[in-house]
Amino acid sequence: MLRAISFVLLIGCLSSCSKEDAIIIIADEDVNLGGATSISGSFIQIFQQPSPNLNTEELEFHRASDRAFGDIFVTAPSEVNGGLGPVYNQNACESCHTSNGRSPFPLDPNNLRGLLLRISMPGKGVNGEPLSVPHFGGQLQNKALFNISPEGKISWMEHIETVKYADGEEITLTKPIFSITDTYVNLPSNILISPRIAPPVIGLGLLEAINEADIEALADIVDANNDGISGKPNKVWNYKESALTLGRFGWKAGQPTLLQQTAAAYNQDMGVTSSYFPIESSYGQDQADGQEDDPEIDDITLKAATFYPQSLAVPRRRNVDDAVVNAGKKLFKILNCHGCHNPMFVTGQHEEYNFLSGQTIYPYTDLLLHDMGDGLADGRSEFDADGREWRTPPLWGLGLAKSVGGQNANYLHDGRAKTLEEAILWHGGEAEVSKNTFKTLSKNDRVAVVKFLESL
Amino acid sequence: MKVFKVFLLFVLIMAYSGCEKDELVRDDYKDILENIGYNVILATYAELDAQTLSLASALEDLEVNPTGENLEKARQAWRNARVPWEQSEGFLFGPVDQQGIDPSIDSWPVNQPDLEAVLASPNVLTKAYIDGLDGTLKGFHTIEYLIFGAQGTKDIPAFNAREFEYLRACSQSLEGATRQLYYTWKPDHQNFIANVVNAGQTGFTSVYPSQKAALEEIVNGLVVIADEVANGKINDPLSQQNIHLEESRFSVNSKQDFADNIKSIKNAYEGSYKTTDGKGITDIIALKNIGTDTKVRQQIDAAIEAIESIDGTFTTAIFDARPSVQNAQQKVRDLQLTLESEVLPIISNL
Repeated sequence: MLRAISFVLLIGCLSSCSKEDAIIIIADEDVNLGGATSISGSFIQIFQQPSPNLNTEELEFHRASDRAFGDIFVTAPSEVNGGLGPVYNQNACESCHTSNGRSPFPLDPNNLRGLLLRISMPGKGVNGEPLSVPHFGGQLQNKALFNISPEGKISWMEHIETVKYADGEEITLTKPIFSITDTYVNLPSNILISPRIAPPVIGLGLLEAINEADIEALADIVDANNDGISGKPNKVWNYKESALTLGRFGWKAGQPTLLQQTAAAYNQDMGVTSSYFPIESSYGQDQADGQEDDPEIDDITLKAATFYPQSLAVPRRRNVDDAVVNAGKKLFKILNCHGCHNPMFVTGQHEEYNFLSGQTIYPYTDLLLHDMGDGLADGRSEFDADGREWRTPPLWGLGLAKSVGGQNANYLHDGRAKTLEEAILWHGGEAEVSKNTFKTLSKNDRVAVVKFLESL
Repeated sequence: MKVFKVFLLFVLIMAYSGCEKDELVRDDYKDILENIGYNVILATYAELDAQTLSLASALEDLEVNPTGENLEKARQAWRNARVPWEQSEGFLFGPVDQQGIDPSIDSWPVNQPDLEAVLASPNVLTKAYIDGLDGTLKGFHTIEYLIFGAQGTKDIPAFNAREFEYLRACSQSLEGATRQLYYTWKPDHQNFIANVVNAGQTGFTSVYPSQKAALEEIVNGLVVIADEVANGKINDPLSQQNIHLEESRFSVNSKQDFADNIKSIKNAYEGSYKTTDGKGITDIIALKNIGTDTKVRQQIDAAIEAIESIDGTFTTAIFDARPSVQNAQQKVRDLQLTLESEVLPIISNL
């Protein structure tokens, strides 16, 4: 008897000592959003932590890759990190990806950090790619080396509209309308502009490890189940395979792999060439430097900068026992937000890294394209994504966005939404019904939905 | 059987008393957060701004009266300003990153081709002009390059008027950036410090939902800088035997930089800065595991001592005195491992 009582007391005492253990025991199934790559914490540097399931070699490589992600590039020739530009948007990966989170919306149009404009001519190329703008390419580089002209400057005006809830409360929504000024040569008047804000870089390796078949299985291009939500995979040009393959990364799923995404960012955002993209973004333009120093980074550096986001930890959900959070979680399902923000996947075998393989993850995305309505439309197509379609962005880490990136770390592709509530209200198209149902909810229920999102 | 029961009772009492100690001795960390916030972080930023102001003044004197004496005063002012910056690198979180201030202060490498081109241009070199340039054309390292020269031996005849003009404007820009940083934390300005000192307090808004979260932030910052010193700042030039990868080579200040980075850890861990000595992370760790606390303190001092004991300059030591560099690197790695594997878990389990 004494033994039995002692055992109970001992367990009770130990469990009060070790809160972490207790949390694991009662854990909700979707607390570990990134499977075994998940970590606990609610602080600014939370997106900068290595995945806890890396082996010793991988952890060492992660640390080296952290430095590659932070390397600042300068004008060539230079003993160190030469090759910037001649036209560019930023001089380092982390210049846009603030603390690895979403970029703050720039307060000063002349001091942009993680915001850029993709541009193209109307129509599509042979593989469905956007058509380059003569003398500008596919992205406006608004910075340049000294004595070189930037392609142009970005400016914007605010468009304001008001949304009214069923209970009478009104919310003001602000949308930036972008334009290009001070171009180095004349810009065609009919170009298409798509603003993009730098997204968080956590969990990307896990998204890469999801089996293509599992993503395709969620597609419903003709809306056969008649729920108003289609879901279309983007098929984009894979330069390594010289073929169209599934797009996963970027606001329109325009990149098939993290390696290509990273090489493209070096090339387009920084003007740094690699073996993957050995031709300068300014090739053929007046500002091209004419130097024969390509590629400007080696394959090890490219691989390191790719590995860094692949090997970052994903934060665990927080406040999972909160009644309001759980009410919001139920409403999220009732509103059919799950229709696009698909909660769960089990990753397949990652091509290179076991720590990403076989993980049960909760990214809250289907990685498919959806018509999001006029309010969000950019009018610019990217392979199979038309001017109204966007890839469902993952929601993990959403509740930590402002902690990590600061108060101006806003939401949506152009950083227009200052709050999660505003982000919900911008949804349209295939999400129109869900959004309208949200608008009929009571204030308490609306708060609960937001509280759930903040727990992610 | 009786012996077993007595043993079990003993285990129970020990377990219970262990709990009691953990739970009752300290469950409020506001005094620690206040001391680190005000007397370490804010004080370091205040010192940084005061020192960059002195640097700007010294470079103005140099422009007006370019003598060898004024050049040496400017170089010393640069070294003096470098100390609080390096001692702030243990807490590179918050506005310094979120508001993009760091690149204006400490971008590296210097964009030498563009710097030469700017100097050769007719552009008027004002603070506002420098403010608008990329980080690699301003801040500590650009000033370092101009006042010490690429070989560290630059003398007054080697300067031209444009360089003095650039230095004046560049130091004013640097001071502006350090003042901005100081003000982001200062209570009567942007007051970021409130997030730290009011963490987890009912009725206050903070990015930290708990004091534990704020403490995790601080300790993570210490891990980051230990890693950066051991595996970046020391390792890159050492492993590749490449002097161009050394950050403060022009000024021969690398050993001082590294030591001040570790002092940054010491200051936050011990809650001390200059003449003030208050509560720090040590006051939590010592209660939980006195052995770990003792080890951290010893490893901090051992790392600083090993860095200062690197033979000759860091530039020459990576070729001629590699064991002394490797020893310093290992000492910093030892500290990093303890911070990661012992200190951080204690904080995360508070």
